[in-house]
Amino acid sequence: MRISRRWLGNYIDLPDDNELLIRTLTFSGIEVEAVEELPALPETVLTARILTAEKIPGTDHLMACTVEYGGSNPVQVVCGAPNCRPGMLSVLALPGSVLPQLTIKSAKLKGVESHGMLCSERELGISDTHAGIIELDVNTPLGLPVNDLYELPDTLLDLEITPNRSDLLGYLGIARDLSASLGTPVKFPELLPIAGADCPAIDLKLILEDSENCPRYTARLLTDIRVQDSPQWLKTALIKTGLRPINNVVDITNFVMLETGHPLHAFDYDQLAPVEAGDPQPAIVVRKARPGEEFVALDGKSYVLDDQALVIADGQKASALAGVMGGKDSAISDSTRTLVLESASFNPCSIRATSYKYKISTDSSYRFERHLSPALPVDASVRATELLVRVSGGKVCHALKDAYPEPERALYLALRPRRFTELIGYQLEESAIKSYLEALGCRFVQYGAWQEEPLTDPALIHCHHAEEQKAGKTEFTEIDCDHALYFQIPPHRVDLTREADLLEELARLAGYDRVPQKTAISLIMDRHAHRVQRAIVDHFALAGFYEMTNYSFCDPAQLADLAFPSEELDRILLRVINPQSSNQSAMRISLLPSLLANLSYNLNHGERNLKLMELARVYHRDGDSYTEPLFLTALCTGQAAPEHWQQKAREIDVYYLKGIIESLLGSLNLPVTATGSMPRPWLVDAENLAFYSGDALCASLGRMRSETLERFGIDIHKLKQDIWVVEIPVQNIVEATRGISTEFQPLPRHPSVVRDISFVIGLNIPYGDIQAAIKAVDPSLIQAVSIFDEYHGKQVPAGSRSLSLHLFLQDSEKTLTDERVDQTVASVLKMLSAAWQIKMR
Amino acid sequence: MKEKLREVADQARELIAACQTANDILNAKAQYLGKKSLINQLYTQLRDLPEQDKPAFGQLINELRAEVEQLLERRDQELKQATRELHDQTREQDLSLPGCFQPRGSLHPITIIRRRIEDVFIGLGFEIAEGPDIDDEFHNFDALNTPPDHPSRNLADTFYLDNGYLLRTQTSTVQVRTMEKYPPPIHIISPGRCYRNDKPDPSHSPVFHQVEALVVDKGISLADLKDTLQNFAQIMFGPQVRSRIRPHFFPFTEPSAEMDISCVSCKGTGCRICKNSGWLELGGAGMVDPAVFKMLGIDPELYSGYALGVGIERIAMLKYNIPDMRILYENDVRMLRQFSGETG
Ligand SMILES: [Zn+2]
Repeated sequence: MRISRRWLGNYIDLPDDNELLIRTLTFSGIEVEAVEELPALPETVLTARILTAEKIPGTDHLMACTVEYGGSNPVQVVCGAPNCRPGMLSVLALPGSVLPQLTIKSAKLKGVESHGMLCSERELGISDTHAGIIELDVNTPLGLPVNDLYELPDTLLDLEITPNRSDLLGYLGIARDLSASLGTPVKFPELLPIAGADCPAIDLKLILEDSENCPRYTARLLTDIRVQDSPQWLKTALIKTGLRPINNVVDITNFVMLETGHPLHAFDYDQLAPVEAGDPQPAIVVRKARPGEEFVALDGKSYVLDDQALVIADGQKASALAGVMGGKDSAISDSTRTLVLESASFNPCSIRATSYKYKISTDSSYRFERHLSPALPVDASVRATELLVRVSGGKVCHALKDAYPEPERALYLALRPRRFTELIGYQLEESAIKSYLEALGCRFVQYGAWQEEPLTDPALIHCHHAEEQKAGKTEFTEIDCDHALYFQIPPHRVDLTREADLLEELARLAGYDRVPQKTAISLIMDRHAHRVQRAIVDHFALAGFYEMTNYSFCDPAQLADLAFPSEELDRILLRVINPQSSNQSAMRISLLPSLLANLSYNLNHGERNLKLMELARVYHRDGDSYTEPLFLTALCTGQAAPEHWQQKAREIDVYYLKGIIESLLGSLNLPVTATGSMPRPWLVDAENLAFYSGDALCASLGRMRSETLERFGIDIHKLKQDIWVVEIPVQNIVEATRGISTEFQPLPRHPSVVRDISFVIGLNIPYGDIQAAIKAVDPSLIQAVSIFDEYHGKQVPAGSRSLSLHLFLQDSEKTLTDERVDQTVASVLKMLSAAWQIKMR
Repeated sequence: MKEKLREVADQARELIAACQTANDILNAKAQYLGKKSLINQLYTQLRDLPEQDKPAFGQLINELRAEVEQLLERRDQELKQATRELHDQTREQDLSLPGCFQPRGSLHPITIIRRRIEDVFIGLGFEIAEGPDIDDEFHNFDALNTPPDHPSRNLADTFYLDNGYLLRTQTSTVQVRTMEKYPPPIHIISPGRCYRNDKPDPSHSPVFHQVEALVVDKGISLADLKDTLQNFAQIMFGPQVRSRIRPHFFPFTEPSAEMDISCVSCKGTGCRICKNSGWLELGGAGMVDPAVFKMLGIDPELYSGYALGVGIERIAMLKYNIPDMRILYENDVRMLRQFSGETG
């Protein structure tokens, strides 16, 4: 719903700061979705009268006008608007005026000088209307700045009204809610009693047939109405809210709808038929449509109704789709003299069904669908009547006709302050509870024992302390009685039916930012480390490794068997003072001895293919202190993948383990940036690898020496298998991956191209170097290089090998042409020949 | 001219019938229907004919062209249909032969149970805190209100190292370290290795694993402890499991309790595992002693808390019906292979 700040300001004093107003609205549950500033226009944009207007020869529609705007001499202005004519009052922007879209300058058009511009509403930035220049009331003073006319500057706010809040569909409702948040009173328009004159010649028969779908129908008769253009203040109000002014009667019904939120409708009395021809009075009948009944709406479209639609009919035919749209025949026209002003209440379901079925959605149906109480129509009717008398000079006939067979009863709800504390999380003082709810229009009635069901009769409120309350005591403890506060709910708040609804109102008005944080998060846990540790162990388990759990002790003699230098042992080994046995007399500095024992044990139990791992801390003395670094160590021998009837078993080799490590680091988003060697006394020389990401050692692997294995009781002469070891310093990976997160890359829009190349190259040239050199030929184009064959054999000279590679080429900008691909492959081969004297196969 | 037409037609029919691939079809199309095709040449030759013969021959060439188009289209469809049939053909194979896969290894049962316990407590809002295996007497004994002459400090019970430190006898050391470092509220569990100088036997091991829980917050009572125990027991062992606490003594809790769950084997009716009592002892627990709080600078008037501890080996043995704790430390892959199907 779009509202004007200036108009809203008529009902409540607003904070000067727009930001504060917007924040207050939004944080009390009325979200401000958009803000549009209507800036002040220059003082040189004024009301003016067109004295003469003459067509400029040789043009379609341009007129040369003389225009007066009070004070100085009339000016000459060229105007092309279709409605431009002598005598009319409009808005003149003098040269130098800066308008939202253009700056006015003196100019010559078709040889005619023009010293200003006559403006449309769009040119002034106040609406989208551009059909012609603005036409003002002839009594408007000349030379008046338009800022006064259009109440500029102003701010327009687009509000999102949630479907439960029918009370917020008018300015007064917004003002009432703001009043509760801001603590300032609402300035309601004064409604004086209206005395209807005796009009024997004018009367109406009101028949309410369907009170289920229309709980209340009021009709007011006014005569001697003069239908004409609305006064400027009324037009301005409607224009800013996005409605087009039509005539003073329709504009007033719209104005009152926007003000109160309650839609009204006016019928031309003289177009209404009586029930029986010859009846002196025409009729209004609220009934279901007759099956097949035709109805021509205000907009000229005709509808065939079924018996579900509620209509407002005269004595003969449907004159309006109740609460949705009026009919064409009974619409207010310039010749209307007497009117019937409808202010009614309709069943929201009926309105929703009709609006849905006939695909008509209007400002009126939008409001009635959200449920408006039958208590509201009278005030809206009184307000509109008063304005109609004032603006259109009408006279009220008779008292208000009011069909209201079953008046709604007021609702009384109990609220327990302790429930607020329990549900919202902090204590709200009783005085605050009362003042918030009273600002919304609720009325505090009395204290009483809590009852869940709403009451319609305050006499049903029980309190053990009724006498004391009467004597003026207001503070009771929970023990005194159930200590509930009873409030009478105002009719405009049809959404307040339970204690929970009242608690919500209080929480929202007091502000959600008052709700305290109960428990600060301590963030003790290193969640990242936890995830990475699990991922590493799971990776090995999925690759077929079994997890070991060994004691944390070791045998210092076995460390000597691994050929740990004795001075290093003296420095880092922590000894147990009271060990259970000598082979448990120190803390482990490596997981390898335990795993070798596990391997030996399992080989002795007939297993041949073993993949073992352990994730555990090792313990290092560090001067007077110590460290407990976490390691994953894996030991394996035999088959990497089991034999299958389709393929032979694959033995564990360096590439198998390299693959495990590369895929592990890849799965952790940790690219290997370098490899090196990690010589160890227990590893075969030159058959070990260390993997680094940046400076961090992430993993190492190697093949165990026969001597070490024999010392640990593993008979390699019988086993005839290699034994491999992997060591992962887990903490290094945890730290290297901390903060790393996948970042989505836009997908390539052009397909990639694969080209294969094969060549013979010396065995001494590492593949890694070749791969890097190829990529470097055109890094933006060559996305990847992968090897799919290495061949040693007859056709290849000794000391050489043949390599076959896939090159993946991709251009992020455009689809690759064959020429470009060929060129790139040629450059790669040229580079390879130059660098390493390759031979093509 | 007539002859030439017939010759071209015969050749075309033969060539199209011999097409075996989509590429053959394309070539034939170029040869007969393309710009420099044989049929287009015929149209060129039409110019040299006498005027009265032109319409008839023109008509004949048009018909030939239409026929070739039709033949090409038909042959194309035939080839496509043949490919389809080949694609969907039933293949001769024995679907009962085993599939090809990399067999999973397994986590150790201690890890499996440790992860399950961690996940139960994380679900209950706890965080995991870790601390060193090697610790000092303050964190392992003094801060936990253990009297200086308490027997658990003996060499016969606790391992000591040559640098003056000891191997923690419970992960309560992590509770102490957490309370030193973080202000309440604290909701943690501390899983990890513990050490006691016990000879390995069916229910003891010098190295074992424990999970302790510690809660320090406002308004924490014994009822919270019982809630957590009951939640834990049911999530871990099943919805039918009941729990109880019995009075006991620990230096760092007041009141102290031992926690039992109904026997997971006989469901409480009595059996060999529960020694006919219907109950199994799960571990120790209690409300944190105010003296412990004071030592760590936490106001016991403002905060209260509980601690509980369970042995991971014991739970693994109960859950998987493992009769002897030593089996867990043998690391026999024939035992571990049985846990390949247990997700951690
Ligand atoms: Zn039992």
